[in-house]
Amino acid sequence: MKREINLVVNKRTYPLTVELNRTLLEVLRDTLDLTGTKFGCGAGKCGACTVLIDGKPMLSCLMLAVSAEGKAITTIEGLSDGDKLHPLQEAFVEHGSIQCGYCIPGMIMNASAFLAENPEPTEEEVRKAISGNLCRCTGYVKPVEAIMAVAEQMRKKS
Amino acid sequence: MLAEYGKEARILAGGTDLLPLMRDRALTPKYIIEITRVPGLDYIDVSNGQSGIKIGALVTLGSVELSEIIKNRFPLIPEAAHLMATRQVRNMATIAGNICRASPSADMVPPLLVLQAEIKIANNRGTRVVPCGEFFTGPGTTILNGSEMVTEIRIPELPLGCGTSFLRATRTQSDLAQVNAASVVMIKDGICEEVRIALGGVAPTAIRLRKAEEALKGKRIEGEALENAAELAAGEIRPISDVRATAEYRMELSKVLVKHVLETSVGRAERRQR
Repeated sequence: MKREINLVVNKRTYPLTVELNRTLLEVLRDTLDLTGTKFGCGAGKCGACTVLIDGKPMLSCLMLAVSAEGKAITTIEGLSDGDKLHPLQEAFVEHGSIQCGYCIPGMIMNASAFLAENPEPTEEEVRKAISGNLCRCTGYVKPVEAIMAVAEQMRKKS
Repeated sequence: MLAEYGKEARILAGGTDLLPLMRDRALTPKYIIEITRVPGLDYIDVSNGQSGIKIGALVTLGSVELSEIIKNRFPLIPEAAHLMATRQVRNMATIAGNICRASPSADMVPPLLVLQAEIKIANNRGTRVVPCGEFFTGPGTTILNGSEMVTEIRIPELPLGCGTSFLRATRTQSDLAQVNAASVVMIKDGICEEVRIALGGVAPTAIRLRKAEEALKGKRIEGEALENAAELAAGEIRPISDVRATAEYRMELSKVLVKHVLETSVGRAERRQR
């Protein structure tokens, strides 16, 4: 059974006809070709599918696409400004925080919202904040360093 | 709608439980009734003054984590919410959903039990309010019939000078608790006037530890009295072995968690009284 909906993704409105039982993750990747958001577990445990819904990190694999109508959806593609990377993206590159890369979009989306809420976190708070983004490669060392570095950058600017 | 579609329908709020179950085909509802846009269910109502608080069915774990009002008057709730799952899940999952799923290790249940919360249930004929302790009937089952839903959770005011604490033992952050524990203590001149302790993950539903509570009243919660309470608690529970822990380990965890939540609650009660 299908429904016509409008999805607002990265400030752009997409009129779509979707099956009621499709997840937001499926529609983002397969219909909208926004493949930055990843399918990791499909069960809400790994965080690879993390997107921002009205600025809050949520799991797109656990949302029906039809439920996301009327919300402002931000994916990793929406974080960069054209070719200009978001400070978190730059920091992850600089600090060597990316190995296979699969967990990274979700982790960066989560971290971006976290830093907006808590601009002066301790390392413990950062680790706790990204506990919903599982990484099999890095052991979290460099990602945490990168997030702390961006927090420091933000603190210096203000 | 629930009355019409009843047993073939499931309610969708946060979806953090329903969708994984559907994905695994453990649940295959014919209809899904999404309530996230139903007005009048997402509220934290303090209009009763100092006489308790009412939390709507759509309030998320993330919201209670951040609510200053709840942190000040019922710190046990945000304390438990903060320890649950992950940030992403907490932004989606509701307290009501946690209790309706009625997992024996549901993390919100021991806190609501020791806070003596009440659950408001609605059907197409009206509403009723049920004490939290009567809401759960077994692992994954509640008194809700197929055409009812929880609309509100009510928490009565805690007396001044209470101390509360919540702890959960788990393998990893995203995992269900192996055992969880919550307590409320009221201390006067160092003596326990009132104590409520609940454990989850060690019986078909989360339970109050009545024998341990009785044994602590009128005593100082420390030393031998505390050890004794932990032993009594062990006698009141029926843990099973499963993929997360053995029955023996749950038994040991229970004793430790009971002691820890009591010690922490007493410390907090004493600090509040200074």
